[in-house]
Amino acid sequence: MSARDYLGEFEHVVLLAVLRLGDQAYGVTVRREIEACAKREVSIGAIYATLDRLEAKGYVQSRVGDPTPERGGRSKRFFRVTAQGASAVKNTHRVLRSLTEGLALLGRSS
Amino acid sequence: MTQQPSRPRPPRLAAWLVDLFASPEQAESILGDLTEEFSDLASRSGIAHARRWYRRQSAKTIAHIAGTALRRAPAWLAAVLLLGFLLSWFSVGLPEQLIVALLRTQRPYSNLHYEAYVWLLTYGIPIVSITQSLLIGCVVALLARGREMVATTTLSLLRAATIGWLLFILVGHTPHARPVILFPAPFLFSRALDLIGIVIGGVIVRKARSASARRLPGAASLHHSCGHESYRIGRF
Repeated sequence: MSARDYLGEFEHVVLLAVLRLGDQAYGVTVRREIEACAKREVSIGAIYATLDRLEAKGYVQSRVGDPTPERGGRSKRFFRVTAQGASAVKNTHRVLRSLTEGLALLGRSS
Repeated sequence: MTQQPSRPRPPRLAAWLVDLFASPEQAESILGDLTEEFSDLASRSGIAHARRWYRRQSAKTIAHIAGTALRRAPAWLAAVLLLGFLLSWFSVGLPEQLIVALLRTQRPYSNLHYEAYVWLLTYGIPIVSITQSLLIGCVVALLARGREMVATTTLSLLRAATIGWLLFILVGHTPHARPVILFPAPFLFSRALDLIGIVIGGVIVRKARSASARRLPGAASLHHSCGHESYRIGRF
């Protein structure tokens, strides 16, 4: 793993959402997960732009599911995090932890 | 026998625009996700709210797709736009020259019927003009490689901005002239047709590429087996 394997802020958020969702990670669920956890509204376009970028970097893989009627006969595209993606998440956490260590801005947890 | 209530349909124009701007494989999943959320929202909050949400999401999605396309290969896209701009710039006045040259080969009241002569002068120039813009749009879209709509829409907006800027300068230099003399309706109509023609060129190429991608479903991506399911690696 390269030391440069760290993620941008939104890439990090999307990868974590995909990791949390496991086998059920596709556009709608990823969007809802981010909205529920991060309390921020994101568009489907932003999710796919990021997932496509992550896929090009080899951090996620996608597969196409079966078409369903509630989707107008269109299929879902499921995502899962690769080993490289998981190590990029760990590396990003390590960098963030070392950068925030000793800083008082996070407050004291009781 | 009871009839099942029909599913609410998402706004067609918004869906059509997303389909145009997204790549064929992206469009399938994005439109599916939007439709799924639309159906869910329509049943919970009503169809009017769901339609507003769909239109807003579509606009944001198109903006993201356009932004990503511009960032992914900026140098290539800039080169394609420059070529399109130069093509449209240097072909200004070509339809008029073409029609006049055609009419010079014919003499009114003799070979060519007078009404046909007038028709060519009135409608021939706009028809040749929109055909020329359409061809420029097609060339730009073909070279833009998967970013057909982003390239042609940007070119059209650039052209509109240039025309607007030139007209602004013209007004500045002739403050006492009436706008109707400076900007006659046929001129403005012809320029508007030019801009529309470029975008239509992009739509034609985009639709043709989508149709060929649908005919060859395996051509756009490579799949490899990963356990029981097939996962895709990277993009081609």
